[in-house]
Amino acid sequence: MEECLVEYFRTQMRTDPDMASAVAAIRTLLEFLRRDKGETILGLRESLKWATDCLTEVDSSVAVSSGGELFLRFISLTSLEHQDLSRCKKVMEERGELFLEKISLSRTKVAKLCHTFIKDGAKILTHSSSRVVLRVLEKAAAEKKRFTVYVTESQPDTAGKQMADALRRLNVPVTVVLDAAVGYVLEKVDLVIVGAEGVVESGGIINKIGTYQMAVCSKAHNKPFYVVAESFKFVRLYPLNQQDVPDRFKYKADTLRTVSDLSDEHPMIDYTPPSLITLLFTDLGVLTPSAVSDELIKLYL
Amino acid sequence: MPGADKEADLTERIEAFLADLKRGGCGTGPIRGSGETARETTALLRKVTAQARWSSAGDLMEIIRKEGRRMTAAQPSETTVGNMVLRVLKIIREEYARSRGSSEETDQQESLHKLLTSGGLSDENFRQHYVHLKANVIEAINELLTELEGTTDNIAMQALEHIHSNEVIMTVGRSRTVEAFLKDAARKRKFHVIVAECAPFCQGHEMATNLSKASIETTVIADAAIFAVMSRVNKVIIGTQTVLANGGLRAVNGTHTVALAARHHSTPLIVCAPMFKLSPQVVITTVVRNRIILSKVNVHCPVFDYVPPELITLFISNIGGNAPSYIYRLMSELYHPEDHDL
Repeated sequence: MEECLVEYFRTQMRTDPDMASAVAAIRTLLEFLRRDKGETILGLRESLKWATDCLTEVDSSVAVSSGGELFLRFISLTSLEHQDLSRCKKVMEERGELFLEKISLSRTKVAKLCHTFIKDGAKILTHSSSRVVLRVLEKAAAEKKRFTVYVTESQPDTAGKQMADALRRLNVPVTVVLDAAVGYVLEKVDLVIVGAEGVVESGGIINKIGTYQMAVCSKAHNKPFYVVAESFKFVRLYPLNQQDVPDRFKYKADTLRTVSDLSDEHPMIDYTPPSLITLLFTDLGVLTPSAVSDELIKLYL
Repeated sequence: MPGADKEADLTERIEAFLADLKRGGCGTGPIRGSGETARETTALLRKVTAQARWSSAGDLMEIIRKEGRRMTAAQPSETTVGNMVLRVLKIIREEYARSRGSSEETDQQESLHKLLTSGGLSDENFRQHYVHLKANVIEAINELLTELEGTTDNIAMQALEHIHSNEVIMTVGRSRTVEAFLKDAARKRKFHVIVAECAPFCQGHEMATNLSKASIETTVIADAAIFAVMSRVNKVIIGTQTVLANGGLRAVNGTHTVALAARHHSTPLIVCAPMFKLSPQVVITTVVRNRIILSKVNVHCPVFDYVPPELITLFISNIGGNAPSYIYRLMSELYHPEDHDL
């Protein structure tokens, strides 16, 4: 049962490399819901929780966790309206499909909002590889804007090189810089745009390691720091500093399983507090960091 | 035919308004205050609603959008016109939803909650015809007009809570709202006002004259002296042309300087702005006017300044005092997100 689930998830990620991991997780959970033979709503919730745990063992990123929580919330909200299980399941399946349809459009909405902030002749700095940022830059290039991009190499997996390749294919002049060169390059840059793996309740973000550094430097240089993220990445965490982010998000799933002493490992993500972020572009609109908690409250309360 | 006459009369009024708007921005400064512009726009939109031919809410919204686009194109820097059009569009949506019997919640903002629970891709096309929609919309617009008429008084009423005796207040240029605010406080308190003259049009002089007529001790200073004098100032109270969606301001040239000086001395910066100045824009383009004074010298004279939200302490509007981080919330109550791009 577990292998089936994991295999489905992996297939989803493979067939569409452009799909966000949270969307793949939600799709997997929806399929799991369809195949589930449970008799009660409580049983359904239990099995979905178990399924989400299985998925986080495969891919320990914040996005998968937030996707799973969102799906659970979706189940709770729908089950409140219909008492009968079979009717409830039908409604859930319909709404689930609709939800997936809507969120597949979210990157386009974000790109539509964000590209107006990129002016002609702008120099943009971005971190590592983010598909949402790529979509925004694609849209800006399609609008015939001329801009140059600096991408950080982003060790330890050098994801920045993939981003640079993708941008070169769009004929955008791009330079790969060392992670250590962020402070050096910021004086030339007009704005900083990064993606996010998770957006936390305070309005801060969790993203690839090195984002916090970039945010602090842009604050020091007075450059705007923009975050682009879809709304399904909003997660119910409230970290006050780097230590507060749970270990299960900081390291890759394999590392968590095999290594006993985590203090020797390098974390893959860091937390950027809301005071360093200028604006967040989401499919719910252009939000200031203080608006994020409002959205989360509307959903979870 | 009476019908044709009314229509001709309506188009005439709109043309006159557009011509007025076009003239208002050029020349030696704004001829009319933004409050009057807002009232006139709303009155005109009410006339359009009453006299234009429409059968469903969708048609009316299209007509209003069309007129709105023409009006904003006439004078892009006058954002109150666009704001009022958005308010009226929101009123139409609300009245339509009320006529349909659905609760107002369903038609609100995009939110995660709505994404998860909505039953279908809501393609609201506003095509249904309701008999009382016209009367309801006109009544709601009348309420909006009453609100607009009372804004300056509502703001002035809050003055006594913010201004204390023997305080030194600084202001920039001329703002009718701030003038009313200070005059109201002067009825019961004695305080001193320093006005930055705001070159090159020096509207600060007119402000100082009006304030001294109300027996307020006023001093006029040159713009260059703002930082030097700031250490003696208790509060800075300014008006603005527009309040942007992120809580920032588009205000008269020189306001950013005042804001930075106030931040440096940890002086509170209070902005008196009525709600009709709230605009859903975030990106602003500076309006620049050139004057060639010598043949080889080009003088750049930007009319407006951008003040980022971090420098502002408090917004006082006709609905009370708010922090800049709350502006996005007020905006979601006034305008509908789909209308943001007219």
